[in-house]
Amino acid sequence: MAEGPVIPEFIEETATAGLATSYMGDWQYMVGGGAAVFDCDGDARLDVFIAGGAGAAGLYRNRSDLGGNLRFEPVTGMAVEAVTGAYALDVDSDGITDLAVMRVGENHLMRGLGDGKFERANEAWGFDGGDAWSTAFAATWEAEQDWPTLAVGNYVNRKEEAFPWGSCTDNWLHRPASTDSGAGFAPPLPLTPSYCALSMLFSDWSGKGSRDLRVSNDREYYKGGQEQLWHMEAAPRLWSEAEGWKRLRIWGMGIASRDLDADGATELYLTSMADNKLQVLDPEAGGLPQYKDQALKRGITAHRPFTGGDLRPSTAWHAQFDDVNNDGRADLFVVKGNVSAMPDFAQKDPNNLFLQAADGTFVEGAEAAGVLSFATGRGGALADFNGDGALDMLVVNRGEAAQVWRNVSKGLGGFVTVDLAQTGANLDAIGAWVEVKTDAGLQRREVTVGGGHMSGILAPLHFGIGHAAQAQVRVIWPDGLASDWISANPGTAVVLQR
Amino acid sequence: MESLRLSNRRTFLKGSAALVVAALPLPALAGEDRAAVVLGTWYKLLLELIRHTATYSPPVASRAFAYLGVTVFEALATGNPALRSLSGQVRDLPPLPARDAGAHDEACVLEGALAHAMAAHFGNTGPTGQRAMQAMAGKMADVAGAGVAADVAARSRAHGVAVSEHILAWSANDGGAVIENMGFPYDYALGGEPQDWVPTSTIAVQQKPLLPGWGTNRPFAIPETGPCGLVPPLAYSEEPDSAFYAEAKEVYDISRSLTDEQKTIARFWSDDPMLSPTPPGHWVSILLQIFARDAVPVDRQAELLAMLGMAISDGFVQCWRSKYEHDLIRPVSYIRRVIDPKWEPLLITPPFPEYPSGHSTQTGAAAAVLEGLMGEGFAFDDATHEDDGLPVRSFPSFWAAAEEAAVSRIYGGIHFRAACDNGLVQGRCVAGHILGLKTRA
Repeated sequence: MAEGPVIPEFIEETATAGLATSYMGDWQYMVGGGAAVFDCDGDARLDVFIAGGAGAAGLYRNRSDLGGNLRFEPVTGMAVEAVTGAYALDVDSDGITDLAVMRVGENHLMRGLGDGKFERANEAWGFDGGDAWSTAFAATWEAEQDWPTLAVGNYVNRKEEAFPWGSCTDNWLHRPASTDSGAGFAPPLPLTPSYCALSMLFSDWSGKGSRDLRVSNDREYYKGGQEQLWHMEAAPRLWSEAEGWKRLRIWGMGIASRDLDADGATELYLTSMADNKLQVLDPEAGGLPQYKDQALKRGITAHRPFTGGDLRPSTAWHAQFDDVNNDGRADLFVVKGNVSAMPDFAQKDPNNLFLQAADGTFVEGAEAAGVLSFATGRGGALADFNGDGALDMLVVNRGEAAQVWRNVSKGLGGFVTVDLAQTGANLDAIGAWVEVKTDAGLQRREVTVGGGHMSGILAPLHFGIGHAAQAQVRVIWPDGLASDWISANPGTAVVLQR
Repeated sequence: MESLRLSNRRTFLKGSAALVVAALPLPALAGEDRAAVVLGTWYKLLLELIRHTATYSPPVASRAFAYLGVTVFEALATGNPALRSLSGQVRDLPPLPARDAGAHDEACVLEGALAHAMAAHFGNTGPTGQRAMQAMAGKMADVAGAGVAADVAARSRAHGVAVSEHILAWSANDGGAVIENMGFPYDYALGGEPQDWVPTSTIAVQQKPLLPGWGTNRPFAIPETGPCGLVPPLAYSEEPDSAFYAEAKEVYDISRSLTDEQKTIARFWSDDPMLSPTPPGHWVSILLQIFARDAVPVDRQAELLAMLGMAISDGFVQCWRSKYEHDLIRPVSYIRRVIDPKWEPLLITPPFPEYPSGHSTQTGAAAAVLEGLMGEGFAFDDATHEDDGLPVRSFPSFWAAAEEAAVSRIYGGIHFRAACDNGLVQGRCVAGHILGLKTRA
C-alpha cells in the first residue's frame, strides 16, 4: 500500500493569540467575513486585518517570536464597521502595502503609511467606493499600466425586501485613470451582466500569458446567470459559448487556484453548498476554457461534514491551496459554516484540511492535524505567522472570534520562500509565475490578488520541497520575461528582483 | 365540472396591478381586488421560494403547490356556497373547520391562510426567504385589512389560519413532508443490470437517485397502485438493429443537428431546480399569467390553483412510482457506453431513472386538467423565464405547450422518445382522476 501524506500537527492558540474580532451582523453579513494577511509595518512578520461585519474590523500587528507562540497586538485606527473583507496590495507602488477594504456601503482604499498606519485614499486616488454590498475583489496590473486595475464584486440589492432575487447589482472595474488626468483611477466601469459575485480572480488561467477575470457567482440570487470569465480587453467582454465557454451554475462562494500538475494550466477549486468543484482544464479542448470536474475523483467534493455526526450537506466558503506539510504537494484548506440557521444544511460543519497524496488524490486530515472546528467559518488563511517555515492557520468565524492554530509539526520536509520585487510599478509583481524545481518535480504558482472568500494573502510564496537537498527557483515576470534558474538550499528566503 | 371559457389571446400585461404592491392606493381597493392582490403576490413569492429553497426538487415543489392550492380553495369554500369542499373526495381529508359567526372578509381569510401556510412550507428556506416572507406578511396584512373593520379582519385571518392548520395536519402523514439530504438517500443499492439507472454526474450527493420512495406517497385522487396508462419501456438492447438502440440513436442524431429553435425549446422547458420555479412551478406561472391577463375572479383562481396543484402532484407520485419500477438508464449513460463515449447532451441530466419523463407526465396532467377546466384551444403567452433572459413563447392551447415540453427533453438529450410520448399519456390519465373531483356545488 502506498504511503499516505504526512499528517501535520497543529495546536490551537486562539485563547492566547490576541485576535478578538468576530464577524457579526444579521442578513447583510450572512456572506463575507474575510481577512487580509500582509506585513503592515515592515518587520517581515505577517499581520492580520479581520472583517467585523456589523461590528468593528480589527487590524492586528504580529508579535510572534520566530518559531514561537502566535501573538497579535491590536492596532488602533482601523476599527471601521460594515467590512466584509479585505485584500492587501501596493496600489500606488510606493513600497508600502495598502489595503482594499470591501464593505456594505462605501468601499475604502486605505493607503499604507508604514508602521501599521493607514489613511483613507479614495479621494486622493480618485476611487469611487460606491454604495453597494461588496463581496468580492481582485486586482491586476494591465499591460503598460502604472496603477492596478481593481475588480469589485457586488451582491444583491440590499434594499430589496420581498423580492431580492434577480437584483444582483453591477460589479465594477476600476481601471487606471488616463495619463492626462494624473494618478489614480477612472470612474468605475460596470461589468454588466453581474450575477452576485462572491469571489473574483484575475488569472492567466491557460498559461498563455494573458490574464482574464474569473467570477464565481451565487446562483441563489441571479436570474439568467452563471459563472463568468471576462476577456480583459479595452471593453471587457465575456467568454461566450461560441468561444467554447461552458455554462456552470453553482452557489459560487470562493475560488482557490493552483497549477496542481505544473502543466501550465490552472486548476480551480470552486466552493459552493453541498458539492464543491475541482475544475481541471480539458486537455482536449484546445486551450478553450472547458473544464472537467475532478472533485469526486480526487476526494475533495467535501459535500458533507467528515465528522461530528451531522450528515446534512455542507456550506463551503474560503478555499486555499498551500503546502502544510512541506512535502512539495499543494494541500487544500476549505472553511465551512452554515449560512444562517438553514436547517437543510449542516450546523456542525467542520473546516477541511485535505492533504494531497502522491497520486493527486486528497485525504482529509483536519481532525488528525488538530484543526477540527465546528464554529461557523467564513474566511481564512494559511500563512507562516511565526516564520518557522511551516504554515499556520487562521479562520474568521461568523458570530465567534477568529481562530488560529500554530503548526508545530516535527520532521516536516524543507521549504523555500520566494519574494518578488520590481522597480517602477507593480512592485510585488502581481501576475508573475514562480517556479520551483526539485528532483521530485516542478511546482508552479501564480502571484495573484483576489479569490478565496473575501480573504487574501500578500506575502512571500511558500514552497514545500520535501526532502530535496536543493531547489531551483525562477520567476516568469508579468510581462513574460523569465529569470534564470537559481539554486536555493532548504530554508532559504529567496528574493528575485529586477 | 363547470368550464369557464375566457377570451383568448388578450395582450399579456406583464407586472399587472394584481402583482404590484407598491402601487396600491390604500384603502381604495374593493374586496375582490384586495383578495386578488393577496393571492397573486403570495403566489409570486411562492414561485421564488420554490426556486430558492434547496429541498424543493420538482416532486417536492408539486406537493407544495397542491397543498397550498387546496388551502386557498378550502379557505374560500368555507364561506362560498357555490364552491364544494374537496373533503370526502380527495384521500383522507377530514371536513374543514366551519367559520365562526359574524362577517368575514375573503382577502383577510386568504391572507391569514397563506401567511400561515407559506411559513410552514418554507420554514426551512434561507435567511433571504425568511426575510422576504416577513416583509410580505406585513405588506399583505396591510393590503388585506385596508378598510376592513378590525374585528372582521381578525376573525377572517383566524379562520384562514385554522384552514391552513387543518390542511397542514392532513398533509403531515402523506409521506412527503420530511426531506433529508435534499432528497437523496444516504443508502441505496443500484440495480446493477445493463438497463438499470446509473449516476450521470460527478456530484457526490447525486450518486444515489432522487427521492426513490416518492411513488409511495399518498396521492390526492389517483389510485394508490398501478401504472395509470403507462406501457413498459422498450426492451433494453445494445444491438444496433434493436428498437432500443434506434431510440437512443435518435436522441444522439438530433443532438448533433439541433436548430436554434430546438435549443431554445429545450432550455425554455428545462426548468432546473434551484435555477427556475421547476416544471410544476412553470405551469403555476402560466396560470398566474392568465389570471393577470384575464382578470379571473378570485374564487375561480383558487379553484384552478387547487386542481392544477393536485394534478401535478399526483402526476409526480404516479411518475415516480413508474420510474423506480422500470429503473431505466439515461441516454447519456447508454450513448456513451454504446454509441459515442464523448457525447454531451445539451441539458444537465437529472439524477434519477429515465422512464417515464417526469416533465412529460406532470405536464400532461397539468395541460389536460387546464384544458378540461378552461377549454381546448385556450391560447396564451408564456413569459415564465423572461427574467432569465429566455423569450416569451406563445401557444395555441395547453396541450400544444405540453407536447412542446415533452419533446424538449429529447432535444435536451435527457430522455428517449418513449418516455416523453408515454409520459404525456400517463399525465392525461392522472388528469382524468383529478377532473373527476367536484369543486362547484
